[in-house]
Amino acid sequence: MRQLLKIFKVAFQSIYKNRTRSILTTLGIIIGVAAVIMTISAGEGATMQVRNQISGLGTNLVMIRTKMEHKAGINIRMGKPISKRDFDVLKKNSVWMPKLSPLVAIGAHAIGPDGYKITTIYGVSYDYFSISSRELIIGNYFTEEDVKTARKVCVIGETIREELFSGRDPVGRQIRIDKVPFLIVGLLEKEGTGGMGQDMDDIIIAPYTTVQNRLFGHRSGYNMIMASALSEDHIIDAEIEATELLRESHNILDDDEDDFETMTQIELQKITGNITGILTVLLGAIASISLIVGGIGIMNIMLVSVTERTREIGTRLAIGARESDILTQFLIEAIVLSLAGGFFGIVLGVIGNYIIYKASDFYIPTVAYSIAMGFGFSALVGIAFGYFPARKAAKLNPIDALRYE
Amino acid sequence: MKVEKVIETKKVSRVFKNGDIEIHAVTDIDMTIERGEFVAIMGSSGSGKSTFLNILGCLDQPSSGEYYLDGVYVNSLNKNQLADIRNQKIGFIFQSYNLLSRTSALENVELPLIYDRTGRFSNLESHAKKALEQVDLGDRIHHKTNELSGGQQQRVAIARALVNDPALILSDEATGNLDSRTSIDIADLFVRLNDKGKTIVMITHEPEIAQFAKRMIYLRDGSVLTDKLIENRSSKESALKDLELTA
Repeated sequence: MRQLLKIFKVAFQSIYKNRTRSILTTLGIIIGVAAVIMTISAGEGATMQVRNQISGLGTNLVMIRTKMEHKAGINIRMGKPISKRDFDVLKKNSVWMPKLSPLVAIGAHAIGPDGYKITTIYGVSYDYFSISSRELIIGNYFTEEDVKTARKVCVIGETIREELFSGRDPVGRQIRIDKVPFLIVGLLEKEGTGGMGQDMDDIIIAPYTTVQNRLFGHRSGYNMIMASALSEDHIIDAEIEATELLRESHNILDDDEDDFETMTQIELQKITGNITGILTVLLGAIASISLIVGGIGIMNIMLVSVTERTREIGTRLAIGARESDILTQFLIEAIVLSLAGGFFGIVLGVIGNYIIYKASDFYIPTVAYSIAMGFGFSALVGIAFGYFPARKAAKLNPIDALRYE
Repeated sequence: MKVEKVIETKKVSRVFKNGDIEIHAVTDIDMTIERGEFVAIMGSSGSGKSTFLNILGCLDQPSSGEYYLDGVYVNSLNKNQLADIRNQKIGFIFQSYNLLSRTSALENVELPLIYDRTGRFSNLESHAKKALEQVDLGDRIHHKTNELSGGQQQRVAIARALVNDPALILSDEATGNLDSRTSIDIADLFVRLNDKGKTIVMITHEPEIAQFAKRMIYLRDGSVLTDKLIENRSSKESALKDLELTA
């Protein structure tokens, strides 16, 4: 025990005396650990965001839209556009879809007192707000009455507020959308970046009637109908119901194909599953590369420093150190450096994640297993490559170690 | 005065095998060195003197023959026991000093005591200080090795060899890297240590340094060629005078 204490002292002295080498060794481990933590966390963050965006699209979402086919790089409309009649049929007969809203979308210039922005105006009914589950932070949604009378009111997203009002309270103020004045009644809660990288807050929502009358010039078709199923268990029922009602309304024969498309949250989640699956594989590959690179860095500095120290080992052996004394010393040194490197690597990784978050608004959670993996692997490599070459040197004949050049 | 054998070798040989070639570095050396002796081992390079010294220093094991160090039968010892005997009974001095770099003289001298398992030394620092005073470096104990001259570094190494109060001090070309004047200082230091009762065996290829010893053994081709007492031993004064004459 006393011997061990003395060796501890020797190990710490040695680390201190060889500061440059110690710092370089630690640096290798720091970078290895930080790289692993940051790559894994970035991947996790991306996965999480895609997932959030999909579930953030709405509650128990069912979408019915015009059938499109992608041919030669362009989308071609295959069926009839979704019409008011389709909407009325569903509204009147549906059992499983208590909330239904048409959706029309159009790109337009929005001009406010402090600036303007080219954005997308979504025309919807009042039900849309409960389907999409988007919350307000200031003001109110527009009402069913507003939709019925096609009033020029809208709610806007955070990005629009920034651009048009420099962040000031926009509720009760007017903006112009393609020269049509709209009164802002509410401000949507910030949602951040969407699953496909789009800005979810770059949005203006207005009654669909107003959008159709004022911005489209009396067009009757819809881009899609959005609905919310009674519960998660009834999403499939709702989809089947919508399909049957519309087939009947469109007089489609039993053998013929649908002239519209349906898409549900379940299908979206399946797609998400695929995306996140690919992300996970990609992430794993990147993380393994940083692990290998970090590991090789640690391995090199450890190997070099031990080889350089073979003569020192020889001297220690010659003046009476036992093999076990040498091994203990090098093991302690390797452990101390690996732990210190691991610790600072974690700190650097977490700070790095935070900086990326601050700089890009891309939230990166520092996941626990990335810390465990980065730290565990680096410590293991550091200790293994600090210990085994030292063991080789300590097992040498003292004369050979002394003569080592 | 009671005569004790510090070193006794019986037909000690060392053969190195390099593939099919056998190199007989040391062949059947019988040698007895008693307490208080100061022996210089000479010989041209390849005469086996370093190999023999390594065996005496328990850094290497003889291929055949018996070796008794201070009454201990070295042949029978395992690795750890060899380390312990190096630690307790031997002080080794190397041509290239082999000090730890960026480390103070004091810490270098303390090193053998760190590996001491007998618990003989309770206050490492005071023992190390005493050893440094013996080599006239009492005022340089906190200097780092790189802040010391070659002669001073070798003195630190000698203090390190002394600190564990060994039965035998072995020096492998201790003056090999030093200029003539410093070499004489080191040789003089050996004489003074020997006067205090230390048994010293040193390898040298410089006859003027060997002349400081009491006994000279000349090796050739791994065997003892001559083994005689030195009649007119050099002293620091006479050696310095000779040096001036030749210059």
